[in-house]
Amino acid sequence: MERIAEDVFKPLLMGYLDGELTELEVQRVEEHLQSCSDCRTELEEFRRLKEVTQNMRVFVPDDKYWEEYWSHIYNRLERKIGWILVSMGIILLLSYSLYELVVGVFLKHDIPMVVRIGILALLAGLCTLLVSVLRERLFLARSDKYERIKR
Amino acid sequence: MNLADEGAIIERCKRGDREAFASIVQYYMKPAYYLALGYVGKPEDALDLSQDAFVNAFRHIKRFDTSKSFFPWFYSILKNLCMNHLSRRIRRREQSIDQMAEEEGQITIPVETASPEESAVRKDLEVRIGKALSRLRPKDREIIILQHFQDYSYQEIADLLGIPIGTVMSRLYAARGALRRELERSGVSY
Repeated sequence: MERIAEDVFKPLLMGYLDGELTELEVQRVEEHLQSCSDCRTELEEFRRLKEVTQNMRVFVPDDKYWEEYWSHIYNRLERKIGWILVSMGIILLLSYSLYELVVGVFLKHDIPMVVRIGILALLAGLCTLLVSVLRERLFLARSDKYERIKR
Repeated sequence: MNLADEGAIIERCKRGDREAFASIVQYYMKPAYYLALGYVGKPEDALDLSQDAFVNAFRHIKRFDTSKSFFPWFYSILKNLCMNHLSRRIRRREQSIDQMAEEEGQITIPVETASPEESAVRKDLEVRIGKALSRLRPKDREIIILQHFQDYSYQEIADLLGIPIGTVMSRLYAARGALRRELERSGVSY
């Protein structure tokens, strides 16, 4: 058998082994097996592997867990909404506090200039960090870093 | 579940119907768990990640095109979560050699034998096959777990992964070949 034909043919051995081929394909495979000892040997090795693994099962959680599976998801969905509301509340309160702080600091003339500059630098730094993190999150949300991974 | 039924249920999900989403979850929770297990190896992590993937899917369900099958779209979400989880695990390993030694072997695919009366030799062989399976690429593991250990038909695997049946066969051929080579390398005779 030529190399290219072999590459196309060999996956059919899997279908033959697992009883997933059409009658025509079975006939084609059997005809080939009669004349190709390499494929017969390979099929036999795959058959042994299948036999030895046929009683094996990956770990499966008990039925109770499957019954509760949806409720776990429901709770997480609810919690996400809770977190969104809590975050909104924190952002609103923080924004208001910052506004009050800025107004308070700059309207009171008895606060030394160095403290005013310090607070201004602190706020500007926090805003820069916030914008940077938001921009990164937005970029990650738009692009999929695993998009090159093929199934 | 056929594509039309699924599409109708997803449309309800898009309107925020959680009961409709519950039926999608009931239908796909087991393959989601098996596939996550293929990636991360630990059952508790696999359950956790598969549930997180459903939560993320529901949150972004409006982006889903209902003319297509749900599971391949959902699977890309699940796979990303599993890859992130593995990356974090690898980063943790880099931080500490002791932790790495402690975590060594955690990606072992846990296997159970169907018959409790199996001999000790047989059980040992199956554990070693489970370990060999853990050393395969995730892509190879996922197809072996679905076909060998869960007995999904080729059509079911093709539907779940969103690939043609011919690709199922070629991927199975590659994955089983890799498993055989891994067993040979480990000196496991069967």
